Amino acid sequence: MSLATRKLREHTNVEIKSKLACEKSPREQVEIMELYTETHRKFSQSSKSRRELECLKVIYPRLLRTILPDDLLAGRMDFLPIGFGAVTSVGGVGHYCHFANLYKLRDSIEEEDLLKRIDALDEYWTKYDTRTQYSRNYRPEVVYGDNMQTIYNAPITAGPRLSGMMLDYNKLCDLGITGLKNVIKKRLEEEPDNEFLQCSLEAMDLFTVCCDYYIDMIDKDMETADEQRKYELQRIKDSLCTIRTDKPVHFMDALEATWLYALLAGCINYGRLDDVLGDYLVKDFESGYLTKEEAHKIVRSLWVLIENKRTTVNGRLIVGGRGRRNPAAADEFARICLDVCKEMRQVEPQFTLRLYEDTPKDIWDKAMDCLADGATFPTLYNDEVTIPGLAHCMRVPEKEAEQYAMFGCGEMNLQTYTVGTPNAVINLLKLVTIQMNEGVDPIDGRYKAGPVILRKLEDYHTYEEFWEDYCKLSDYYNDMCVKQQVMGYHFMNTQVSFLFVSNLMNDCIARGKPLLDGGVRYLGGCNETYGNINASDSLVAIKKLVFEDKKYTLREINNALLADFVGYEQMQQDLKDAPKYGNDDPYADEIANDVYNLVAKRNYEMGPEMGLHYYGIVIINNQTNTLWGNSTSASPDGRNSRVFMNPSNNPQGGADKSGPTAMLNSLVKFDPHYQVGQVQNIKFQKNFFKDNIEKIGLLFKGYFKKGGCQLMVTVIDHHALEDAMIHPENHQNLIVRVSGFSAVFVNLSKNVQLELLSRTMYDKV
Amino acid sequence: MADVVKGSVMEMERFAIHDGPGIRTTVFIQGCPLRCPWCANPESQQIKPQLMYNVKKCLKCGTCARNCPQHAITIVGDHLEFDRSKCIGCKTCERNCPGKAINFIGDIKTVDEVIDYISRDKDYYDVSGGGITVSGGEPFVQFDFFYNILQRAKELGISTAVETTGDTDWEKMKKAEPLIDKFLFDMKQSTPEKIKEITGGNGWRIQENLRKLAEIAAEKIVIRVPVIPGYNYEEEVLTAIIEMAASLNIPEVNLLPYHNLGENKYEQLGRDYALKGTKMMSKADLKHYEALGDKLGLKVQAGG
Repeated sequence: MSLATRKLREHTNVEIKSKLACEKSPREQVEIMELYTETHRKFSQSSKSRRELECLKVIYPRLLRTILPDDLLAGRMDFLPIGFGAVTSVGGVGHYCHFANLYKLRDSIEEEDLLKRIDALDEYWTKYDTRTQYSRNYRPEVVYGDNMQTIYNAPITAGPRLSGMMLDYNKLCDLGITGLKNVIKKRLEEEPDNEFLQCSLEAMDLFTVCCDYYIDMIDKDMETADEQRKYELQRIKDSLCTIRTDKPVHFMDALEATWLYALLAGCINYGRLDDVLGDYLVKDFESGYLTKEEAHKIVRSLWVLIENKRTTVNGRLIVGGRGRRNPAAADEFARICLDVCKEMRQVEPQFTLRLYEDTPKDIWDKAMDCLADGATFPTLYNDEVTIPGLAHCMRVPEKEAEQYAMFGCGEMNLQTYTVGTPNAVINLLKLVTIQMNEGVDPIDGRYKAGPVILRKLEDYHTYEEFWEDYCKLSDYYNDMCVKQQVMGYHFMNTQVSFLFVSNLMNDCIARGKPLLDGGVRYLGGCNETYGNINASDSLVAIKKLVFEDKKYTLREINNALLADFVGYEQMQQDLKDAPKYGNDDPYADEIANDVYNLVAKRNYEMGPEMGLHYYGIVIINNQTNTLWGNSTSASPDGRNSRVFMNPSNNPQGGADKSGPTAMLNSLVKFDPHYQVGQVQNIKFQKNFFKDNIEKIGLLFKGYFKKGGCQLMVTVIDHHALEDAMIHPENHQNLIVRVSGFSAVFVNLSKNVQLELLSRTMYDKV
Repeated sequence: MADVVKGSVMEMERFAIHDGPGIRTTVFIQGCPLRCPWCANPESQQIKPQLMYNVKKCLKCGTCARNCPQHAITIVGDHLEFDRSKCIGCKTCERNCPGKAINFIGDIKTVDEVIDYISRDKDYYDVSGGGITVSGGEPFVQFDFFYNILQRAKELGISTAVETTGDTDWEKMKKAEPLIDKFLFDMKQSTPEKIKEITGGNGWRIQENLRKLAEIAAEKIVIRVPVIPGYNYEEEVLTAIIEMAASLNIPEVNLLPYHNLGENKYEQLGRDYALKGTKMMSKADLKHYEALGDKLGLKVQAGG
């Protein structure tokens, strides 16, 4: 294999921190992967459901890890380079081969026979890995670069995955495994030959098998445990003995059932756990079965288990908000989570508080307290804006939109109702640079306007003409994103049924159909847009300096861009001084809205046209704004070539100079009815935040009242980031909100650190 | 339109959280009758635009000197010298400065422009019990402008506060009073003579205005005392001011510890700073006066 091919294959999500080492020896791993592969081959002529089930039987319970001495819940898993999954952060999608990890394993091995066996696996999965097959068959040349180094040279990129599934854990707990099986059996009476239903039924037995596996393990662990540990292990065992077939009785049972099911389903976002667990918790408190201290310790253990999966951009756990069955009980769970969040200061779970008209004051205060301490959690969501916005964009009743649950970096699903995975991304700023060069991307000199005819720079006589061409280019690429998304689902559906996921999603069992085969109630999706604000600020500068002030021509500006402003310092300053989004300046904000409306409404309209129930943009961020900025040439907003782009909905770092109310006012101008997730960051100096916590709380409330949908708050010491870059050893606990995820600052790459540093920090003496 | 009311504004600061209750926007108006030696906003003392020169940003290129129509700028050694008596405030130098070292303070704005700007944060005022604070300079100096801002703000349902030296005609204060929800009334010394001596202001008029205002609206008044070592940081002075407040039924006194954050502005204005080397104070230095307030039945707060 060529190095380039290998590098392309190794392209996967960035891991901020490495995962726990696999418990299995390399030889054992190879053996399991071979067995998996053999099963995959053997059942290639069977239905996709049957093949999936047989493959799952290979890895469950084999891949379950031991219970660690501090764990108060059972449920850890190793993800091998070959297996079954939903997303790349843990393994891969469908029947996958995570080539990067396979090669890592290969590099660690010396035995000749094993190397040969791995090569054989590599050869097989080069043909059958879901993502590789998709890339080979569907992705058009224009979408991506030649290899890992140039993947971000493309204006869009797309691929198949199934992210952020939010399952019906209430149903799981209400019915128990036997109850779930009875539902399936009943449905089978109507359609006895439905193989999806048959396999779903058998898959539930795997859950029981896994419980039994852990029960046996606990029996062994008990032999050497001290009294305290015996008590804890017995409690886990009691839960497993209940939930292996029956519905949960206690808090521990419900949590164990939920956790284990999510693990087997490959879910790494957990959704509204307060709604699932609150009732059990309160009942246990009332009966004296559980003390608050014990519950607190169990939730701490959950926090550790989520963190140990190290998915970086996932691990969502949500509390609060409308549409919960018993809000008072759910809030009890939320309170414990808030206490644990403050103590633990971990980057995962991505703990989230949904705010609504009945949020108790003490919960709000606890949340502000966590933020003041620099936890970066909870992230705050506003039901009043989010629910009607999503109901519109997803084309669903508000009652269902109440079940919104963000995953990953802030994309939305409706718990139990939607598949809304973000399988396309677009760089809106790159489109400006391509337009400025009449179709050629200066970053690599390649023509990237496809069939779109762009005018010569000299032929633009008005701003409207320039805008018109930008619209054409934007539509061309956005349409391609939607199309790629649809093809991704289609392809995944030819391969797998996602049995565990389907079983707890409306309406797969009722319809007798797998998730992507017409099973899920609403098949949707989203497109992650990047460089939004750099693009609009670029258009602002062009409108102002070229067409209104007539200070420069487009050609002059482009010459400066191609020179990366060397020799054009005054012009760069003028471009930077042009109005900028983030200052509550109507001139800049209006064009930011034009870009937003252009892109958001196009995606909104094209989804149903291409066969989805809904499709929408998400303005979120992981670190793609930095990585993609590194492959985007200089832009008319005064940004230098290969510099990071703005994060999510926020202004380019340092461009907002009018204080937090002005910045927040700019944020609320986007119409929330045409997106399925947008996030915004705000950064405060620690003492300033603590000294003025009440007024800052009111600032947030004012922002939400004005129509703010979401807020992520970083609170840090003055110069902490600068110092951490020089003396990382002194800042091992410095947590920052990158955007869609939080991270220990010193573990981030230098470019990402610089982007974070550039953001405006609010402080005053 | 001939009757558009305009005024000279130093700055409009959003998310001001130390100039009255809640979240506020503070409008700093140019012009002040007092000349307090510690003034933290010396650029606001005159109505006409004030040229500020930041030598650290200066490229010494001489562009400003070449373009100045008054020939008021010369390069001397490693910095510029400005003949401020010749400056007419045309801002040619500011526009042409590549290093952005020259900055004029004092923008002429219409009442509409001010109102448009301050009303953008109305939701934050409403949710926090905040509003606008008109400060200075001394807001009463540009009375028509000030009065029109208050009137329009009230029409929009925005709460108003004013930060005043009190050195103005009583008739003006009386006229504006119904439009003002909170008076942050500066009292820099305990006797009229000392006020005059230190600040140059009309101490008799200031104290008389305070008395008259307290008669009609004591509950609206917060007395603010910038506590400055060497000028009024004395037990008997501060005690006398607190006692005066109590005798007038004024409910609150804020003691503001001295800070030197205005010092570099003097350099940029080409002026000397009278308090050079004076140490910053902290709230803790003034904390013990809060007990005196409790004794006299009013709120005394270190910091404000």
